[in-house]
Amino acid sequence: MSDFIKVSRDEIMDGKMERVLDFFRARSMWMLYYCTGCGAIELPPSMTSAFDMERFGLGPMATPRQADILLITGYISVKTLKRVIRSYEQMPDPKWVVGFGSCPVNGGIYWNSYATINQLEKYLPVDISIAGCMPRPQAVLDMFQKLKNMIQRGEAVGYKKYKLNYDWYKKNQDEVLNREEPVFREDELFSAPPEQISGEKITAGGNR
Amino acid sequence: MVIADFIPKNPGATLGFIVLTGIAAMAVGLLFMGIGRKLTARLQRRYGPPFWQSYIDVIKCFSRNSISHHYIMDLGSMMGLAGLLAAAMFVPVAGHLPFASTGPLIVILYLMPIGYLGMAMGVSASGNPLSAIGIGRALTLMVGYEVPFAVIMLSMIASFNTTGLLALHQIQQAGGWNLFTMPFGFIAAIIALQGMLAEKPFDTMIAPAEIASGPMVELSGKFLGMAFLQHAVAIFIETGIVVNLFLGGGRTIWEFLLKQFVLYMFAMALNGIYARYRVEQATRFLWFTAGSLAVVQLILNLLA
Amino acid sequence: MTRNALVERIEAETGIESRPRYSNQIEASVPRERIISFLSFLKTIGFEHLSNITAIDWIQDSTMEVVYNVWSYSERIHITVKSPVPRGNPVSFTCMGLWPQGRVYEQELHEMFGISFQGNPTQGPLFLHNWKDIPPLRKDFDTEEYSRRAYGYLEEEQ
Repeated sequence: MSDFIKVSRDEIMDGKMERVLDFFRARSMWMLYYCTGCGAIELPPSMTSAFDMERFGLGPMATPRQADILLITGYISVKTLKRVIRSYEQMPDPKWVVGFGSCPVNGGIYWNSYATINQLEKYLPVDISIAGCMPRPQAVLDMFQKLKNMIQRGEAVGYKKYKLNYDWYKKNQDEVLNREEPVFREDELFSAPPEQISGEKITAGGNR
Repeated sequence: MVIADFIPKNPGATLGFIVLTGIAAMAVGLLFMGIGRKLTARLQRRYGPPFWQSYIDVIKCFSRNSISHHYIMDLGSMMGLAGLLAAAMFVPVAGHLPFASTGPLIVILYLMPIGYLGMAMGVSASGNPLSAIGIGRALTLMVGYEVPFAVIMLSMIASFNTTGLLALHQIQQAGGWNLFTMPFGFIAAIIALQGMLAEKPFDTMIAPAEIASGPMVELSGKFLGMAFLQHAVAIFIETGIVVNLFLGGGRTIWEFLLKQFVLYMFAMALNGIYARYRVEQATRFLWFTAGSLAVVQLILNLLA
Repeated sequence: MTRNALVERIEAETGIESRPRYSNQIEASVPRERIISFLSFLKTIGFEHLSNITAIDWIQDSTMEVVYNVWSYSERIHITVKSPVPRGNPVSFTCMGLWPQGRVYEQELHEMFGISFQGNPTQGPLFLHNWKDIPPLRKDFDTEEYSRRAYGYLEEEQ
């Protein structure tokens, strides 16, 4: 994190005139339902009758051009990361990223998988995260209340962070998406077989 | 005929009246949209957004950065809104019009497609193929609902020898409402109104799950705000036309707004219940069912 | 035909020893050169549906086993056919001629294990994006260490 540009709080927070518009932006947030992983199953209960989300002004929108919030729900494989970055860059300012579930925070239950990334913070500026696998609709609504307060105070400025620190984000993204070298050298592969669980010697062909 | 004949007697008041009508059309349309969302939510047994939600949505849209792909996209969006605002000038509200005119229905019915064609031009300049599909469906649907409306216009000519909405308003104030003397025409107009408003079952134009909201797929920021305002003015015009044709027009402005409101709430109630027709099913329904009711009305008017 | 009758018939006509396993399953192990003829024989005696092709990496024996799961709708019997290939030269033969859906399974095995199937035209990447290392489902690939090096862990950043 040392290449991050340091700016003062006054430079990055919204000014007084913007706060008037932030009042309206906080009460009408449209989400892009990019349901990346299994966490998306908790969004329909939040939208329908019991935990009605529309009364806060939230609603689904079909394309990145019309949406304010990008919801990253669940794990992100490398293929998905490329498309999510493209969708994020297609959205007009001001925009916010919400990390939904444990997987964008620290990898979740797929922390030791070769195919999913561990920290979304390195590739996109996340404004607010919810822990949980999956978080319940009560947690989802609590998160949207907190995001609304952050926007009204002018503190949800992830998009400005992205623009000011674009080189740092791009370096991290290229490290994953445009890799040149293999991660393991020849001599770093395992040479011994993993431990047998039951102790029985099982060979090829199923002979015991 | 000199040029002085075309200048109104009191240009300042006329200009003020025109601006006031434009703002009122947008404000009333947005208010109806908000209350409509509340009604849909209550039909689905949830609370729904506050009734001023559409104003907040429009202000938020205008406060964002927008991305334009071509200068035709800017011009097309402005043309869309301008065409509909021009059509709104000819709808008499409780007998008042911004300038001296008879409120001819034919003028309104050719100024409204200027709105849609402007939107189509602007959106197809964005280059997204989904918008081309959406516009194809929207214009096909327009061919669908214009047919019953044209036949209703012919039946008005057959009965009253006029298509001026102002004259129809005055005739209905003297006699009874046309709702009772021309019931078939009223039912045909209600069905055609559902198509004009692009509400279910005739909302293939928007279709968010199929074509990513059709014509609005590339609109962001101020373009999306203008699309919302277009829809709001369209609501005002279309319900205003049907109120003037069949529901007596209204003695005061509040009565006029109340009748528009009841009509729009009925349309939103149908929207909450029905599923979506495909575009060829919708066109066929509008031509044969609504069209045949209008033709029956025309024949009754010619014989009487 | 019952399961035991099928076992005897397979043994009689092809010479491959197969044994019953669990309630309605048969298991057989076939050398690499005879696998396609064995599978086409199975298709003639009523095993119409190829459910799955997968592989097991026996690193301590230096072989990889390609496993075909074939199901018979008419007899309601499942057969598991195992065919070992040497780990140093993992080449086998395609079964696309018998079942067209085998093409995708073989493409996945080529990407995840490195086994190539002669006769299959699509042996390129399927799921992994820009993959530069050895095939990841082999037993000498340490997936936890890969995740740590490529994507970082949250504790190390502080």
